[in-house]
Amino acid sequence: MQDPTVSNLDFEYRYGFSMPQKYTFKSKKGLDQDVVKSISDIKREPAWMRDFRLNSYRIFKQKPMPSWGADLTDINFDDIYYYIKPTDKQVNSWGDLPKEIKETYDRIGVPEAEKKFLAGVSAQYESEVVYESINRELKKIGVIFCDMDTGLRKYPDIVKKYFGKLIPPHDNKFAALNSAVWSGGSFVYVPKGVKVKLPLQAYFRINAERFGQFERTLIIAEEGSYIHYIEGCTAPIYTTNSIHAAVVEIFVHKNARVRYTTVQNWSNNVYNLVTKRARADENAVMEWVDCNIGSKVTMKYPSVYLFGEGAKGEVLSIAFAGNGQHQDAGAKMLHFAPNTSSRIISKSISKNGGRTSYRGLVQVMPGAKKSSVFVSCDALILDEQSRSDTYPYMKIKENDVTVQHEATVEKIGEEKLFYLTSKGISRSDAEGLLVNGFIEPVVKEIPLEYSIELNRLINLEMSGSVG
Amino acid sequence: MKHVTFLNINEEKREKFIFNKSGKYIVFFHNLSGKFFFDLKAKGIDLDIYGLFVGRNKNQFKVETIQRHIAPESTSNLLIKGVFYDESKFIYQGLIRIEKEAQKSHAYQKNQNIIMSDKCFIDSRPFLEILANDVFCTHGSTTGKLNQNKIYYLQTRMLDKSAAEKLLIDGFIREITAKIGEYGHKIS
Repeated sequence: MQDPTVSNLDFEYRYGFSMPQKYTFKSKKGLDQDVVKSISDIKREPAWMRDFRLNSYRIFKQKPMPSWGADLTDINFDDIYYYIKPTDKQVNSWGDLPKEIKETYDRIGVPEAEKKFLAGVSAQYESEVVYESINRELKKIGVIFCDMDTGLRKYPDIVKKYFGKLIPPHDNKFAALNSAVWSGGSFVYVPKGVKVKLPLQAYFRINAERFGQFERTLIIAEEGSYIHYIEGCTAPIYTTNSIHAAVVEIFVHKNARVRYTTVQNWSNNVYNLVTKRARADENAVMEWVDCNIGSKVTMKYPSVYLFGEGAKGEVLSIAFAGNGQHQDAGAKMLHFAPNTSSRIISKSISKNGGRTSYRGLVQVMPGAKKSSVFVSCDALILDEQSRSDTYPYMKIKENDVTVQHEATVEKIGEEKLFYLTSKGISRSDAEGLLVNGFIEPVVKEIPLEYSIELNRLINLEMSGSVG
Repeated sequence: MKHVTFLNINEEKREKFIFNKSGKYIVFFHNLSGKFFFDLKAKGIDLDIYGLFVGRNKNQFKVETIQRHIAPESTSNLLIKGVFYDESKFIYQGLIRIEKEAQKSHAYQKNQNIIMSDKCFIDSRPFLEILANDVFCTHGSTTGKLNQNKIYYLQTRMLDKSAAEKLLIDGFIREITAKIGEYGHKIS
């Protein structure tokens, strides 16, 4: 049997490549009022959006950096391009794409992916969505799936009604930053009673050095509808730090269900600072499946505001932190109505000096009677250099509820490792097997092609440093 | 019987407890607000920490506990139980911190609260910070009202509602008094 450590020595980070840059517009480095204005002008946005951006910029300047969570002191806001427009106009067939962009996508595997499953692909290259193919079926049933800029142009009434309503700019510093300079992201609208059977997917990519990506996603699921949205991220390796500060707002109306799956694999120099929030109305179901493997620092706490009676919220999350990484991730559940329920399952793994922190909030408001909360966080620490934290907050202002929280932290079972190695399995393979078993309850909720990718990534990360 | 050092914080009137010698220790406190440090600085310490809270009227408790394992191969086990009536408030923050050197530590933390009124407020934050890998740590927290099925059962046995509630709450609290009693100590 081949020694797995050997094959890992020449392991090339699969997505760690970068293409020559060819842009039609690149804003100057750093951020001021003029940059914000010029972004809005280039996009020919309505006045309300321009005002929204400028107001958000003012809030961004005023807001302090978060005083808790991961270390963000290395971020230099003046050393970032806030807007880059890669090609003149959007193209809707594969053949029309510029060569470099096509090569980048070929290496991520977009065309194959498209052939295999797609209901729709929206791929983001730099800050503008340049490639988008929308399945005819989607249009037929009235589903809108486009990039956010197009959404604003074509459906201004819907966008104005929902945009920034769930995550206002003053929510936090990075939401304010995104609100000021957002570009790209997805806009999804599912009409009443429509159930979209295939998941919608978007690929995101950062390709310019020192360039932060500020995508903005808005999903609206009308009464009784269903949608599954998948966000997968890969990014090339660069030497300087990049910021990814996204905002995702989801409105789940009565009896509707939305599932949002993320497989985050940014390269290890990206600050991934994302605000994700969903509002669930009467008997609505919101599910976040959140896998954080990459990035230097991630701060992300997908939340569900349970506003309607009988609404359900769920967050399933996996965090993996290797050398130099800090995954500060978790979930927030806010119960405002009776008979609401929430469930948080978090699995984190730290290795090679990595640090994982679960940070979560559960709040039950007065009147949210017969609500139930279940939180479970498990952590594996694989070596002496690594660290794991758990910071759950539970605020209960109602007595007719049940709230449960449990957490465990442990190392990988020596007996299990011994058993597997005694059967001729190498130690690194055995560790990979056990770690994949540990995260299995979450992985099984992810579509097959992603769970295979995730298992493969974990195996690679695991066998990379066998002592 | 094994020698046990018993510390009642209500009588000790201090917040810092440093354990430098191996052995069995039991710490107890009742309806006390404050920030309590428990530093485990030697191998072979077996520390139980019991906190009991009964909140009535406008009682407010703000409690912070820090179980800090500095030496390897010790165990700490914290259990805080609370019953809250009327407009009482309970804010609890518990931290287990395992330093790098404290391999083979076992640390547990449990907070269970019963809410008896819809006007009380519970804020529970059981934190873990684990810097060593060969450890076993768990924490759990539950908050809710009394089990209605059990009350119903007792009512069918001719107990009135308040007697049934009292019986269940006595049982809930007894877990702590019984454990301390096992070592020959009594609390009122």
